[in-house]
Amino acid sequence: MVEPLISVRNVKKYFDVGGGKTLKAVDGISFDIYPGETFGLVGESGCGKSTAGRTIIRLYEPSGGEVIFNGKNIYELSHHDMQAIRRDFQMIFQDPYASLDPRMTVEDIIAEPLDLHKAYKNADERHDRVIELLKLVGLNEEHASRFPHEFSGGQRQRIGIARALALRPKFIVCDEPISALDVSIQAQVVNLLKELQEEMGLTYLFIAHDLSMVRYISDRVGVMYLGHMMELAKSEELYENPIHPYTQALLSAIPIPNPEVQRSRHRIILEGDVPSPIDPEDNCRFVERCPYATKICKEKEPDFVEVLEGHYVACHRAKEILDKKLTSTK
Amino acid sequence: MEKLLEVKDLAVSFKTYFGEVEAVRGISFHVNKGETVALVGESGCGKSVTASSIMQLLPMPPAFYKRGQILFEGEDIVKKSEKEMQKIRGNKISMIFQDPMTSLNPTMRIGKQIVEGLIKHQKLSKKEAEEKAIEMLNLVSVPQPEKRIKQYPHEFSGGMRQRVMIALAMVSNPKLLIADEPTTALDVTVQAQILDLMKSIQEKLGTSIILITHDLGVVADMCDRVIVMYGGQLMEEGTVYEIFKEPRHPYTRKLLGSVPRLDMSRSETLHSIPGTPPDLYKPPKGCPFYDRCDEAMVICKEHMPEKEYHTNTHYSCCWLNHPMAAGVAEGSGE
Repeated sequence: MVEPLISVRNVKKYFDVGGGKTLKAVDGISFDIYPGETFGLVGESGCGKSTAGRTIIRLYEPSGGEVIFNGKNIYELSHHDMQAIRRDFQMIFQDPYASLDPRMTVEDIIAEPLDLHKAYKNADERHDRVIELLKLVGLNEEHASRFPHEFSGGQRQRIGIARALALRPKFIVCDEPISALDVSIQAQVVNLLKELQEEMGLTYLFIAHDLSMVRYISDRVGVMYLGHMMELAKSEELYENPIHPYTQALLSAIPIPNPEVQRSRHRIILEGDVPSPIDPEDNCRFVERCPYATKICKEKEPDFVEVLEGHYVACHRAKEILDKKLTSTK
Repeated sequence: MEKLLEVKDLAVSFKTYFGEVEAVRGISFHVNKGETVALVGESGCGKSVTASSIMQLLPMPPAFYKRGQILFEGEDIVKKSEKEMQKIRGNKISMIFQDPMTSLNPTMRIGKQIVEGLIKHQKLSKKEAEEKAIEMLNLVSVPQPEKRIKQYPHEFSGGMRQRVMIALAMVSNPKLLIADEPTTALDVTVQAQILDLMKSIQEKLGTSIILITHDLGVVADMCDRVIVMYGGQLMEEGTVYEIFKEPRHPYTRKLLGSVPRLDMSRSETLHSIPGTPPDLYKPPKGCPFYDRCDEAMVICKEHMPEKEYHTNTHYSCCWLNHPMAAGVAEGSGE
């Protein structure tokens, strides 16, 4: 049995929004990420997926829970010990325009993590490492002395990736790394991330709202809604056999780029909008929009249970839905 | 089919400090009554400039119409004065934008923003206009419209704001609606709601829609015909089935290949298009896709190909589809 690289246990992140109110952005999520895999985290805006990504690597101080990495709970480490462990964690951001300092050259941007961790002996070594990284992400030596504004969105994202790889990390949180890019450029960046993963044995937490892209890149996928994990399964399993009513609606809403298929599909149209995450009640978070909701859903929060091997669902009626699916396919 | 809008050889440029940017370089297409036409392409391909020039919404200068005509109901929009345009804009042609927060006035109540156009264009009294505004909000499924018209844009969620934008655009019963990335800022479940809404309103009112988007899934869902744009020019046009089933231009094929499909195996590589779109300061003489095309020939660099019709409704601009090039394509042993 492979040991997980990272174990996330009941992680919570609350924000005080004043007036005695609390915004529960992430409210107790648990999952494991195994070495070399890509774990996809999907959900609509405001569901807490980005906050989850940042809290897991302790860019935000957590409000509760634990994250086990190398046998240690990183939430208990001192500032100094955390600094050392940060070499293993990196992040790639959504906006390639905002995440690179416009006044720094590409060389200095990429070398910044090396500078902070004093990861070289002399200036030559620093320069060589930067060139090596640039080549790794498909840029070249001439680019080192230029500034971010001289690059296109896709190239900037490559610079961001080179910076993330500088310290040879084990784990990278990719927070919507492609959503600001054009379709043809998205494919370039995704293919690059996949190649790098194979070469360097990287582990990714891939956060996105583009469900078809997440299916393509991820080994396992978790679906979040209002700070809770609703469903988690292997990516093929989740997309072929979604059990949670929210996942079903979410998947049916993705328009498929094939007019014949798309126009004959049955779409589940959800009523209303995502409710506010400020002081939510202790019930199923999806209850107001759920076509399956019953009395118990309003009263009690469902547990996150394994209904099939490796397939977890937080829904009171998961068993029923699953049984119905099984009988209808027979 | 009756043509509502006909764009003939339209070219729009911007004068800048560094020279002229040729954003749209001679495009021709038409929109029939009651149909939905998609304008597809990557950022910077000129699709939004095309849309804005139909509405005469571009700041002039720096923008200017270089040549061509935009015939709307037989009249040329390019020649219209600002005063004449004000009678068309928001009345016969309406537009909805990607970001409803920046296109609604944050300091004005929703009701007032909808009523404004009605009083101006249809000369309704304040009371009649308000009734009509409530009726429109009902049509776009905004709950409790009587209460909602007294609220400000920030009191609405993203999806609700986009509904208000649609109500605002449709209130004067326009003949043509230009929707510039109307669902790009929305979540998929809300996007599904808005697309359904646009379809049902089109059925009820018979509006023609130009839908500008880069989401090929949305195109497959909504549109009758598709126009593919690249580097300020049209690459291919056809019915939605022709474009998705038998794309004839290498760029269209690549674009379709670079989106992951839900039935795609994870071991398949996504087809990316190497390089980036051309710089329109110095637009290429030949085909704008030449640099990124792996089927490019010598002639592609020097001469822009003419339209080659495959069916009555389907054409592409590519030398590979030229009758004389058939031998070359086969000979290259694909």
